[in-house]
Amino acid sequence: MLRKLIVGLLGLLLGTVALAANEPVTIDFWHAMSSGHQPNLQKLVDDFMAEYPYITVNLTYQGSYSALQGKINAAVAAGNLPTIAQVYENWVTPIQSLLYPIGPHMTAEEIADIIDGLVPSNTYNGVLTTVPFNKSIMVLYYNADLIPNPPTTWGEFYDLAKALTVDLDGDGRIDRYGTALRPAANPEQFLVFLNQAGGSILNDDWTAVTLCEEPGITAVEFCGRLIPYTFVTSEYISDHMGKVAMFIDTSAGYNYNKTGATNAGYTLGVAMLPAGPVNRSSMIQGTNLAVFNTPNQTQAQKDAAVLLARFLLRPENTAYWAMKSGYQPVTKSAYQLPAWKEFVAANPYQQAMSDQMLVGFSQILHPNYGDMRTVLSTKFDEIMRGAVSPLDGLRAMCEEIEALLEY
Amino acid sequence: MVDRSGQKKPGPVLPFGQRVAGALNPVNWYRKDPALWRESGTAYLYLLPALIILGIFVFYPFFSAFYISLFKWGILPPRPYVGFANYSYIFNDKYFWRALWHTFYYVIITVPVTLFLAILVATLLNKGLRFLSFARTSFFLSYISPIVAIAMVWRWMYNADYGLINYLLSLLNKLPFVHIDPIAWLNDPRYSIPALIILSVWHYVGYHAIILLAGMQNIEQQYYDAAKVDGASGFQTWLHVTVPLLTPQLFFVLIMSLIGSFKVFTEVITLFNGPGPLRSAETIVYYILRMSGRIDSATMHLGRAAAGSVVLFGIIFVLTIFQMTVTQRRVHYQ
Repeated sequence: MLRKLIVGLLGLLLGTVALAANEPVTIDFWHAMSSGHQPNLQKLVDDFMAEYPYITVNLTYQGSYSALQGKINAAVAAGNLPTIAQVYENWVTPIQSLLYPIGPHMTAEEIADIIDGLVPSNTYNGVLTTVPFNKSIMVLYYNADLIPNPPTTWGEFYDLAKALTVDLDGDGRIDRYGTALRPAANPEQFLVFLNQAGGSILNDDWTAVTLCEEPGITAVEFCGRLIPYTFVTSEYISDHMGKVAMFIDTSAGYNYNKTGATNAGYTLGVAMLPAGPVNRSSMIQGTNLAVFNTPNQTQAQKDAAVLLARFLLRPENTAYWAMKSGYQPVTKSAYQLPAWKEFVAANPYQQAMSDQMLVGFSQILHPNYGDMRTVLSTKFDEIMRGAVSPLDGLRAMCEEIEALLEY
Repeated sequence: MVDRSGQKKPGPVLPFGQRVAGALNPVNWYRKDPALWRESGTAYLYLLPALIILGIFVFYPFFSAFYISLFKWGILPPRPYVGFANYSYIFNDKYFWRALWHTFYYVIITVPVTLFLAILVATLLNKGLRFLSFARTSFFLSYISPIVAIAMVWRWMYNADYGLINYLLSLLNKLPFVHIDPIAWLNDPRYSIPALIILSVWHYVGYHAIILLAGMQNIEQQYYDAAKVDGASGFQTWLHVTVPLLTPQLFFVLIMSLIGSFKVFTEVITLFNGPGPLRSAETIVYYILRMSGRIDSATMHLGRAAAGSVVLFGIIFVLTIFQMTVTQRRVHYQ
């Protein structure tokens, strides 16, 4: 008994000594940031390694998001997941049991600093598990030569869309639409209207579909009224800039839209979305960082990955990443940094994106959300193309989503 | 059983002319003649590399797809056995039938048009053009260019407002009594599959033409000389000498393009960035990949995806067998 105790104590002592001395540890960080972004990410990782000399981070580019997803799925099957990776919510909701929660190892201040809209989409069973990394937000892009004051409410948006829809050459075909939507590719545009009307797809505990309640009807009817003034496409709107006066699109598309506007011969403006009946929110999209809790990861590796995730969340780092990549900072304090303020002053379009981020919301973590999104995009497309009436389309959405509640 | 000479054979051929009791059982052959062991052993040894590769990359995936199709297969266990529930799901899914229809529509037009144009191009190239190698390279270029890059260019050509195709069509409006409105190639559900067909025909015609050209150039001059002596016209020679002697290559091209066309996917995703307006360009492979959770941020249902693959395999298998039996009778080997 005594011997066991001594051995145990000795082991504990050795362990503590090892921990204090910080044995070298190497972690793999899988990401999908292509050549343009990679040097900036590498710089952040280098800074991290300089601060924690015992940690080596192998930053590995895995190709496109789709390739990264494929490799993560394969690694789940093979049992060789990296320690930390960039992930979309839909990729990890089915493997949430393999995640090592980061939140419990963060300070209360750090958690409170994360933008409110990003907390739910990183929280599993009440525990902050993943942390936001590269995020973009839907904003309003507009032809600034045509629109001196962008609309601030749905009413103004509708009136302007109607007024700016014109057949310039009188051949019976509309040459310029007031607005544009990409319902099939971007059902998030509908979710923005839904959220701004105070609605949601499901109730809080995912036991019922709430989409067809009053806010859903308000949102879909607003979309229905917009149909005659909307260029509906599944292509990128940046390919059709000359045809559209204003549209809702992700902040990540800024450079494409800017080029498109330049080619179409006008100045691109960026504004916050017009406010709906309840709020002026917008949808945040993009990836998070997940640490994996699989048998191939040692505690030291997981600890190191948590340190890295927390490091990347520091205001100066998320701001640096945002300034270099065009994504948005993910913590509130980052927006107060002098460096960020200078950046916004030099790039005025960023102001609207920053303001919008702070009132953003993100997707729900239902394991069948992927299928629900397919229902939303299919039906929203049918509604906007007039294949089904707005209310019938909404009803069909609810029926089909109802069937996906169980998982 | 029919051999190459077309004569009926009396039954299984016995090695070394043995006619002993139980000769129908191949095991007995080996018992009687140890030399056979050596001989077939060597043969199997030669076949082994191909068998291993086929086994790993063809047979194993096929059987594993069939196996997976019988389970509710998510990324993590448990993966309960569900019998044929995945099949009944896809057969009750209207988008599966639509995808099937879109694929058939695409195949039925793409395959014959590509083949016809390929014969035409090969014939012209075979006429001994002045810049034959240049022309050959140009036609092949469309095939070796990556489909993703091609689709990017075509996305621009199909642009309803600034695209080259609509511009060319608008030139026709200068003719009397012609009026063509600009076509929203990528945004009008009616034109999704036609847009896909035009792109694919352009992409594959060069490759097929090169194969046919190689076949044409292998046809012995003596056949043409004989036709000339018989006083055949250019077209008659082409129809009665070139085409029949080209049947092996035509057959190969037909089967390959049929199989390839059924698997159309990359063109769709790069051209439309999704399933197209009102999902009008969703093909069967697109459907399968969506079910596997790899596109459109869909949820992973590997069982349903596997069931879809098995159905696609069945369709291609039946069609290929049909083609083999029907067409092969008309294939002439020199």
